[in-house]
Parts: sequence; C-alpha cells; structure tokens
Amino acid sequence: MSAAAAVTAPVGTRARVALRRIGAHRVLATLFIVPLAFLVVMPIYRLQSEAFSNSGEAYRTEFARDRMLETIWSTVGLALGSLAIAMVLGTLLAWSATRLPPRLRFLRILPILPIVLPFVASVLGWTFLLSPRPGYLNSLLRQLPWWDHLTEGPVNVYSLPWIIIITGLSLTAFVYLFLSAGFQNINSELIESAHVNGSGGLGVFFRVILPMIRPSMLYGGAVALLIGLGQFTAPLLLGRQSDVRVLTTEIYYALYNRSPQDPAAAAAIASPLLIFGLAVVLGQKYLLGDTSRFVTHGGKGFKPVRRSSRTAVAFICTYALFATVLPLVALAIVALSPFWTRNVMVDKFTLENFQELFATPAMTGAITNSIVISLAAVAICLPIGFIASSILLRAKGMRTTRGILDLIIALPLGVPAVVLGVGFLLTYTQEPFFLYGSKWVILVVYVTIMLPFTTRMHMSGMTALGDAYIEASRVSGAGIVRTNLRIVLPLLRSSVGGAAALMFVLLTHEFTASLLVRAPDTQVMGTILYDTYTNGNYPVVAAIAIVMTGVTFAGAAVALSIGGADVFEDL
Amino acid sequence: MPHLEVKGLHKQFAGKPPTTAIDQLEFSIEEGELVVLLGPSGCGKTTTLRCLAGLETADAGQISLGGRTWFDSSQRIALPPEKRNIGMVFQSYALWPHMTVRKNIGYPLRSRRKKGPEAAQWIEEAAALVNVEALLDRYPAQLSGGQQQRVSLARSLVSRPDMILFDEPLSNLDAKLRDDVRAQLHELHGRLGFTAVFVTHDQSEALALADRVAVMRAGRFEQIGDPFEVFERPATEYVADFLGLSNRLPAERVDGGVRVAGAEVVGDVLAPTDLGDFVLRIRPEDLHAAPTRADLRGLTTLPATVVDAVYGGRHVDLYLSVAELRIHARVDGSSVEWARSLTAGRGVVVGFDPENAKAYGTAEGSRLLDGRRLATARNGA
Repeated sequence: MSAAAAVTAPVGTRARVALRRIGAHRVLATLFIVPLAFLVVMPIYRLQSEAFSNSGEAYRTEFARDRMLETIWSTVGLALGSLAIAMVLGTLLAWSATRLPPRLRFLRILPILPIVLPFVASVLGWTFLLSPRPGYLNSLLRQLPWWDHLTEGPVNVYSLPWIIIITGLSLTAFVYLFLSAGFQNINSELIESAHVNGSGGLGVFFRVILPMIRPSMLYGGAVALLIGLGQFTAPLLLGRQSDVRVLTTEIYYALYNRSPQDPAAAAAIASPLLIFGLAVVLGQKYLLGDTSRFVTHGGKGFKPVRRSSRTAVAFICTYALFATVLPLVALAIVALSPFWTRNVMVDKFTLENFQELFATPAMTGAITNSIVISLAAVAICLPIGFIASSILLRAKGMRTTRGILDLIIALPLGVPAVVLGVGFLLTYTQEPFFLYGSKWVILVVYVTIMLPFTTRMHMSGMTALGDAYIEASRVSGAGIVRTNLRIVLPLLRSSVGGAAALMFVLLTHEFTASLLVRAPDTQVMGTILYDTYTNGNYPVVAAIAIVMTGVTFAGAAVALSIGGADVFEDL
Repeated sequence: MPHLEVKGLHKQFAGKPPTTAIDQLEFSIEEGELVVLLGPSGCGKTTTLRCLAGLETADAGQISLGGRTWFDSSQRIALPPEKRNIGMVFQSYALWPHMTVRKNIGYPLRSRRKKGPEAAQWIEEAAALVNVEALLDRYPAQLSGGQQQRVSLARSLVSRPDMILFDEPLSNLDAKLRDDVRAQLHELHGRLGFTAVFVTHDQSEALALADRVAVMRAGRFEQIGDPFEVFERPATEYVADFLGLSNRLPAERVDGGVRVAGAEVVGDVLAPTDLGDFVLRIRPEDLHAAPTRADLRGLTTLPATVVDAVYGGRHVDLYLSVAELRIHARVDGSSVEWARSLTAGRGVVVGFDPENAKAYGTAEGSRLLDGRRLATARNGA
C-alpha cells in the first residue's frame, strides 16, 4: 500500500501547500509512469531500431522472398476467417445465453471456458482428434459409409482452413464475452415492444438487437481481429506439417530456425503487425475519447431479457462440446495411453505418463516456475493496476499525464505477443537490464503483458464504486490515504480478488511471449509442452497439457468464487 | 461578521464551447442560517456546493469560513475537503456498505482523531437525533431508503462540523418519506441551529426549509431572499416560472385598454401605464373560470375557449386558449362540478385578482414591475 500512498502524497498540514501539492502529485505520477513506459515502450523501440539497422536491409531481404506474399495472405486469411467464425458464433452464443431457462442459467459460463482452457492444450487436443491418420474423430468419420474407402482424413487438421476453424472457435469465446455484456444491457421491454409492434423472432434479432449491440460488436470484433492477426499458437503447432506460414511463425523461425539468429529479420517481419496494432489502439482512443467510456448501465425498472428457448440450450452445449469437452477428452485419452494410436485402448490406460512427467526435474521445474512467476507477477500487477486506475479516473488535473499513461497501458493489448516477445528478447539481452536466462525476464514480461488487464479490471471496479463513497469519506475528514485504505480497498476487495485470480489464469496459459524469451534452463509449462511436442513424445505432452489445464482451472475456480460469475466481463 | 463568505467565485468547465458553471458568485451566510440553492439541473447549484465542500476547485474567487480561508485563487490556497470541518449529506446517501451504521456514523470522529467513550457517546447522541439508535449494529443494505438517509444525516452531524452541506438529499426518497424526512430536518435545524447550505430543485423543499432561498440561473443568483419574499415577489420571470407562476400572458396597451393575445382585458392590471408591452405571470391556482363575466365580480377578466378539462379530485385543470395563447387554470371549490362538465370549444371567462398577476417587462431578464405605484387601466364594467 505504500505505493498507493505514493501517488496521493502525504496530506500537508498547512493550507498554503494545498494547491501546490498538485505539483507534487505530478512528480509522483511521473515517477510511477516512467518505469511502466520503459517496460512497454523500450521493447518496441529496440524492435524498430533492430529492423532499421543496416539501413533497413532486413526489410528488403525479407519482403522480397518468394513466399512472403503467400505468408501475408495466409496471415490475413487466418485473421479474417477466424474473425468471421468468431463473430457469427459469438453473437449467436451471446444471444442464446440470454434465452436460457432460469434453471439452466449457469450454462452461460460454458462459452467462456475456452478462455480458461490453455489454447496450446486445446490445439493439442484438436491434433489428437483430427490429425489425418490417427485422429480419433477422423477414424470415427471413416466409419461412415461414404468415407469408408479412405485411409486418412477426411479432415486434415494441419491445413490452413482447419487452423482457421480452430482459431475461430477459440476467438468465439472472446467475442461472446464482449457481446454478452452488451446483451445483458438490453431492456426486455424494448424487445417486447418490437414483438408487440409486429416483428417475429428473426425480425427482432436483426432490426432491434443487432443494432443495439453494435458498439460491443465493434469492440469485440476489433479485439478478435487483433488476436487473430497475432495468432501464433495454432499456426506454430499445426502449420509445420503442411508448411502453412503466417507472419508470426516467420518471426519465430527467423530467431529460432536460422543459424545464426536473425533478429533484424524478425523485427522487420513484425512491422506490419506492430503498425496495425498501434493503429487499432490509437484509433480506439481517438474514437472513444478518454472519459466516458466505462459508464455502467443502471437505473430502476430495468428488466434484462428473459425468454427461454431449447435451441439456445442445445447451441451452447454443442459449442462447449466442440470447443472444450472433445479436446479435453482427447487429451485425457492420450495422456492415459502408453502411445497415441487411432484406437482407444481403455484396458491399457496407465498413469505412467504422469509419473514420468513428475519424475523429470525439467518438467516439475517448469510447472513450479509457471505457478511461482505468475503469482509474483500478479502480486506486482495489483498495486500497479490500483495506482494506474486511480490516476486515470481521479487525477482530474493531469490531462497529459493521463493520456500518456492510458496509451502505455493499452499498448500491450494492441501489439501481438510475438512482436512484443521479440522486443523483450532484444531489450533484456543487453544492458542496462541483462536478464535473459534468469526467471526475472519472464517475470518482467508477465508484468508487462498484464498491465492492460490489471488496469482495466481495477478501473471497472472503481467505476462501479462511483465517486460518492470516496467523497463522503473526504468530507468526513479523512485524507486520501485513509480514504483509500478504509473505504476504497475494502469495497474493491472482491473485484480485486477476482482480478488477481483471473490474471493468474491468463499467465499460467502464457505461451507466445514465454516461448520467445525462455532460455533452455528457464522454462514454463507452455514452453516445456512445446519442446516435448517437437520431440514427438505425445502421451507426455498430453499429460503436461492436462496438468496445465488443471492449474488454470483451479485459478478460474478461485476467480469465480471470489469475484462472482461476472468476473470475466471485466476483461 | 458573516460566518461563510464567498467572493467572486467563478468556475468554467472545459468543452466546446466551455460552459460557465459558476459566474462571479458573491454571497455570505450567517452562523446558524440555512440557505437553499434552488434551480433546475445545470444551473450551477451543485457545482457551487461541491466548491464549498472542496470536491471541486473553482477557477477564481475566495471562500472563507469564520475568518479561515478555505479557498483563495490569488494566494493559491485550496483546502482539501478533509481540512474544512464540514459534514455532507449526499443524494445517494453514500453510506459505506462494508461498515455498520455505528461505524458509518463514527467515521468522521475517527478520521478527526476523536476516540474513546466520548466518541461513543457522540455517536449515540447523533443516532438518537434522527431516531436510528435501534439500527446502530445493522449494515446499510438492511435499512430502508428513509432510514439510510437519516443515518447519513447523523453522520454529517456527529462531529459537530462548522457547516453542513446537503446535495439534494431528499430526491431519492418517495413522496411520503420525503415529507417525513423534510419535517424532521426542519425540526432538527430549529433545535441545533447548524449552518447549512441545501441544494434542491424542489420549490416546496426550499420554501419549507430555508432561512433564505437563492434561486440560481446559469451560475448566478437570480434572486436571494426570504422564502416568503421570493414566493410572493419573484424578482424575474425566470424565478416566477420556477416558483409556479407558469401562465405567461404577454400584454399590450391599445387605446388605453389592455389586450392579451388580442382579447380585451376587463378590470385592473397592475402595471405602469407608460409601458406599451409587458408580461403578466399568474399561478394556475390564482386563475378562476366561470360561464360569464358577472360570476367573477371584482376580478380582472378576459374571454377564453376550453381546450380540455381534466378532473383531479378536489380540483379540475382547465386548459384554455386565448387565440394562439394557451393558459392553465386550476379550478376548485364550488366550481369543480361545472368545470368538469366543460367540453372542448366552449367559451368561458377567466379572471384573476390583480394582486396575483405579476408584471414584468418584455426584455430578457426584466425585473418585477413595482405593483405599489400602480396606474390602473380600467375598461368597461
């Protein structure tokens, strides 16, 4: 808490100090922002100066390669294709979630599970299901009369279309998250009046509901597009077999598949993604302005939509089956089997893979690292988020300071993790902070990528709290420090607790940035999984994925129990 | 020497164009006085209150209480709220939900370093003042709106502050509760004699509670004075309109007589004869209606046509037209039955006591024309 005290400054006893204290506030706020600016801006700066080294030679070489155009098209295809899938499914799911019967209301949590499930794990699960020869679903499909002549397929999970579909299924959860918040704010009377005025179900959906949730669709769509463009996990794990290339994997291979490493090339290839990410962040700031964007919906006589439908239940369950249950089941089967074949041999199930996993120091070390570093990062991020959102929401005098902070905080959300990862690698493999090879680099990276989340979650908690409680405390004679300690923190306890657990979940997932900055003897769960995967030891990979899933689900359970069912909506 | 003194207070909000929330405001409040700031939303009353509380910082001006400077832009002094020794009651009550009523009420004492048995006794006393002694160990969520607002009142009183600020404290309560809490507040002020500034948009609250009422418009005081004076002699048309003189009759002198919307006015009109055009303001309750002129003996009358008659129990609201002009008369007593039977298009006569029609000039912001130096315009009967 000394940190919160720092922004707010000790309350001077003399009247005269009062107005001048704003100056002191400004200094303290600046002292707070400078390290954050270093964390976020330095990697981007290093990345760009690397790309421009040798007077931009890397741009000429990389973008002149034969397959560059194809790579760019695949990247765009992956982004737009998965966006389209996610928007359609996400909208339908969010609409379905509003039409669940009261008894089945808890089902609305199901479409969020793919966010909790580590994406590496579900991609791996899909490999086990749809790999051309031994994939479980493929071999089931080959039982069908019209496919019984095939020896492999009919689905090839390693092809671009299926990479797009799997990515789309996962992005759906994000779109759902944004839209379901939008749907909950639709007053049922608006819908009832549309029905009364002669619209059928479809008419209401297209003429009333869609236009009303347009803002959340736009926002959810922009986020999904960013994630799709920066998508790394699925193309990396699946794309290699059929030589599918996207910009993100090219960036990674420039560093880890060329000898010697070619950071200039990686930086150059990253440029389009970086520029697009910056454009989205700046565009959003420009469009939304900086004040009234987190206004929450309230008021008397508000009735959320309540009409139940069986189709809605079926649709949500089907999505949960494909996006969560099937991949998990496949993972579990492989993790329990001695080796991966198309036939499930229940009688041969064994725990040997887990025993092997827990007997390998590198793997247990990675699991410990993931948990410890994530916890440490969360512990660091909480006060940062509290202070940052206090400045953003309450420091009325400092417009410029707030603008800069706002931008710094938003950047890690816009810039894809691969791109940031390269920047991190470049930043922390040289002075003044040579951290590469230690656990510190992972901690610093985790803190950096969590900045947007911690700030947003604190901001939404504080916005929901409103000003009146704080003002009431101030006029009752309490200074800023006392107000924060006695009023704000206790009231934020549940939302901060939920935020902490949620960040833990997101960090134990982390794959992309970790893969770029890890060293051979500093691993986390995601990276050790990838190494084992490239070595082809599938049953152990599946076991790691199951453990990883267990850890994140435990975190999610904590998040839900502290923060309530709406905890995910703060994302 | 006045207790609270405000000089040249000025505040603008950024925007395009910037809006002036408080415009060179000057006023002072005596010790023990309750001043109500009255006005519609956006008139600057809440901003003024928040500047007094220290929750907003004005751009210019001075505020001092009991000789102690709270705010002085020229000396760059702006005491934060916690240094001003005030109490405040919020519209939303703002009781902290994680504390019991006792802790809520005791908070101002704790934060002003007052502890021990004396503090405990002060809490009990404050709770007793507003009849919430029985609720001290409950949480705010377990209280009704009226109880919450009383607790909030106790919290503002408990540390015996130099001044209490009320930010529309009654507007979240339903009508009956509002009357109860208002009565309690009035009694409490009479008993304790605290200095207070009370912000509201409800004229009946203002009239009931105020020692002085200040009617605000665009960051200025349009009129400040005793409630009776403000109610009976609204200084401008704006104040008149806000205090219920909602009928606006633009009048002109033609050939020595007075006409309203072309219709001839019969009887006294209290406005200077040298004025060609002026405006009369009348409350609906002060307008009477009858079938013929003879039924309204002693009143000033003009002919009108019925547009609609709306029954309201003890009264009937008559909406009438005089050519293009719409007027509203609230008829009660023995005329209710007759008024109920009226249908659209019927011709009637409306009348008013000349004392009740306030005359203003036609220029924007004209002051009340002095009704004592009357020149009468007498026509016909």
